[in-house]
Amino acid sequence: MKTKQCLTLADVKKMAAACEAEAIKNKWDVVIAILDDGGHMLLLHRMDGTTPFNAQVAVEKGRSAAVSRRSTKSWEDRIAAGRNAVLNMPVLPIQGGIPIMYKGECLGGIGISGVQSHEDEQIAQAGLDALGA
Amino acid sequence: MSLKSVLTVTTFGAAMLVAGASIAQQKPSPFDAVPDKMPFDIPYGAPIPLDQAEAAIGAAVAEAKKRGWKLNVTVVDSGGNLVAFQRMDGSQLASIAISEHKARAAVTFRRETKIFENAMHAGVNYVATLDGMIGSRGGIPLVVGGKMIGAIGCSGGTGSQDDVICQAGAAVVK
Repeated sequence: MKTKQCLTLADVKKMAAACEAEAIKNKWDVVIAILDDGGHMLLLHRMDGTTPFNAQVAVEKGRSAAVSRRSTKSWEDRIAAGRNAVLNMPVLPIQGGIPIMYKGECLGGIGISGVQSHEDEQIAQAGLDALGA
Repeated sequence: MSLKSVLTVTTFGAAMLVAGASIAQQKPSPFDAVPDKMPFDIPYGAPIPLDQAEAAIGAAVAEAKKRGWKLNVTVVDSGGNLVAFQRMDGSQLASIAISEHKARAAVTFRRETKIFENAMHAGVNYVATLDGMIGSRGGIPLVVGGKMIGAIGCSGGTGSQDDVICQAGAAVVK
């Protein structure tokens, strides 16, 4: 039987710390959500000054990236290219969520919400980089 | 309306009144008592800052780790919104939502969820019909300076295990 890698709480805390450092460096307030490969939440970190709305959006972006194994920007791009049917997919097609790819496997997703979408993704990427993927 | 139908309606109404009175006599309700004061009258305060939420979760997770338990821990603010969450390695998935539900219920009802568990254990079943309630201990309001700034919820073990860990987390919020 196939065995797979699995994120630990220690891993995701390290990633969230890197996300927060990136946000603080840029004076941004965001919500950081990290989910496992089944789309189940592992950690949520809502920085002071963010809204309850940001918390919901961050979780949805992270879940979408985790279960679809691709960035939420890729979904957004497909809609922008005119593929409106994607709107009916069970994902949040807004940049700021990326899959946690590690040694060729998807271990989960990171979702960020709070600033502009491309900035959200920049923060998510900082978290992924901290895993040493 | 004819005289006959008016009579019929009147007679039916009178019969209902008599029936109602006899039910009240047979089963006096323990809920008829009217207390003078509001129960659980804790004022809502400002939303809990992230630092305090993380401190509570850190203390809860440390206590769970010490006992070898695997739990999910959620902190919500005074509006019942998610502020911080951690899932310990190997803890059950159902408890992600349950831990948040317990925390949210503790805030919105301004009381420990153990109150509901006790009520249901005592046979006060109507509490199960209240919106957003949860009949399991492990959800505790976080009160600072007399105001409720949020709540902590734990889930993953028995209710009693969840509650012990919850208390460890709530203890560091002052």
